[in-house]
Amino acid sequence: MRPLFSLIGILALILASCSTATVGTTTTSVAAQEPTSTTSTTTSVPSEAIPELSPLASLTQPLGSAAYDPADHIDGGPVPVALSIPVLGIEAAPIVDVGVADDGELEVPGADAVGWYRFGPRPGEEGSAVLAAHIAFNREPGVFRYLVDASVGDRFSVEFDDGSSQTYEIVEEAQYDKQELPFDRVFAKGGAPVVTLITCGGEFNRSLRSYEDNIVAYAVPVADEE
Amino acid sequence: MKKRLVALFAMALMVMAIAIPASAQTAARIHLIHGIPNVAVDVYVDGAVVFPDFQYSQTQDLSSLAGQTLVALQVKAAGTDTVLIDAGDVALPGSGNYTIIAQWNAAGDAPTLGVFENNVSSIAAGEGRLTVRHAAAAPAVDVLADGGIVFPNLANNPPEEASADLPVATYSVSVVPNGATDPVVIGPADIAVADGTSLIVYATGQLADGTPLPILTETITGLGETPSGVPTGNSPVDSGLPLLPLAGIAAIAIIGLGAFGIARKSN
Repeated sequence: MRPLFSLIGILALILASCSTATVGTTTTSVAAQEPTSTTSTTTSVPSEAIPELSPLASLTQPLGSAAYDPADHIDGGPVPVALSIPVLGIEAAPIVDVGVADDGELEVPGADAVGWYRFGPRPGEEGSAVLAAHIAFNREPGVFRYLVDASVGDRFSVEFDDGSSQTYEIVEEAQYDKQELPFDRVFAKGGAPVVTLITCGGEFNRSLRSYEDNIVAYAVPVADEE
Repeated sequence: MKKRLVALFAMALMVMAIAIPASAQTAARIHLIHGIPNVAVDVYVDGAVVFPDFQYSQTQDLSSLAGQTLVALQVKAAGTDTVLIDAGDVALPGSGNYTIIAQWNAAGDAPTLGVFENNVSSIAAGEGRLTVRHAAAAPAVDVLADGGIVFPNLANNPPEEASADLPVATYSVSVVPNGATDPVVIGPADIAVADGTSLIVYATGQLADGTPLPILTETITGLGETPSGVPTGNSPVDSGLPLLPLAGIAAIAIIGLGAFGIARKSN
């Protein structure tokens, strides 16, 4: 620790000598300007009043204002309301917003709807917008009954509550053991905007009434085909 | 000549040696906030100015100075030798998450430094953390959210904080003197508690000047947990043939039967 301090001291001396030199130059120029222009002299005076800048200043970083701006904290924007995946025969399946169930797992609506995880990004925002639906629920086929058959390159569209829509293209498909689901990727809050479709698959465990795997399709926004 | 080169090389090494600890201590996060309205200051360490003309609400990241001692830290009124805060030697922690705020004391007769350790423990999915810190020249207060008291009796002697993890929502937050309902000294302000985010609100300024206390905020993101699973199937799909073709076959069978019936009737 002690050697570090002496090193900092040396660095401080080096920097201090540099900045003293600069201050010296400024002072001379101020003196030279004095007879000709009074306005420039007054603007230069404060820099003369401040002693040399500490070497610590170069190690710190200004972060802007901590002033409270409600706009920074209250997020808005269109909410997804319907999902169409023509290649799977899904036509305007309703999207409802879902949160977390009491057991900590994602809430998922009934067989006929798709759940959008409202605590994560909206489709189009940075990070992964999660759209989850059942493969089968109470012996009824769910909206994502055939998600497992979707392929990379397949397209789908999301409609929003403001009437707009956005087309997405599947860029990656994966099947994970439920214990191995990459939660930090599926529920990512940052990074490029992705829509993540997710359902169940693999073996059905009759005693747990649950599938062993999750089927996941990652998609990115693409321009609409006209 | 050779000696001089060696000396230069040694100096270069020293500069690098200083840079290394800064990058090695990325775990530390130390912010400095100016929380005294209308008082521009110069911040000095060891007789040299570090932050000239530092203004209310501005924030500086001191993280790369973690573990170092700020020798003779002084806060002076900007452009003057008037010392507002004489903090002496301030040893910055080597790791952890801290915010230092230049603020008024409770009586409003002396600026001071409030030092807070920020809670960066993980937050349950669907919740966000709201922390309120009393950094104002004002008596003890109650903090109300949506009309109910969430943080009672918060004082600035020394600077205190209160914190809770709340369900994600926008809350109407107001601050009143402890045990009273008026005057409202802050708000009501709409404060959005966001998933996995710690929102820290500072009450600043002086109550004596008759206007509501201004607030400053900082946020720490990325603390949220994710849902623990995605349960998207509670019954088996029919093995072998998918349901849609099955339905198709059934429909064909019904049509076939119907046609057979019609054919029989016409007989």
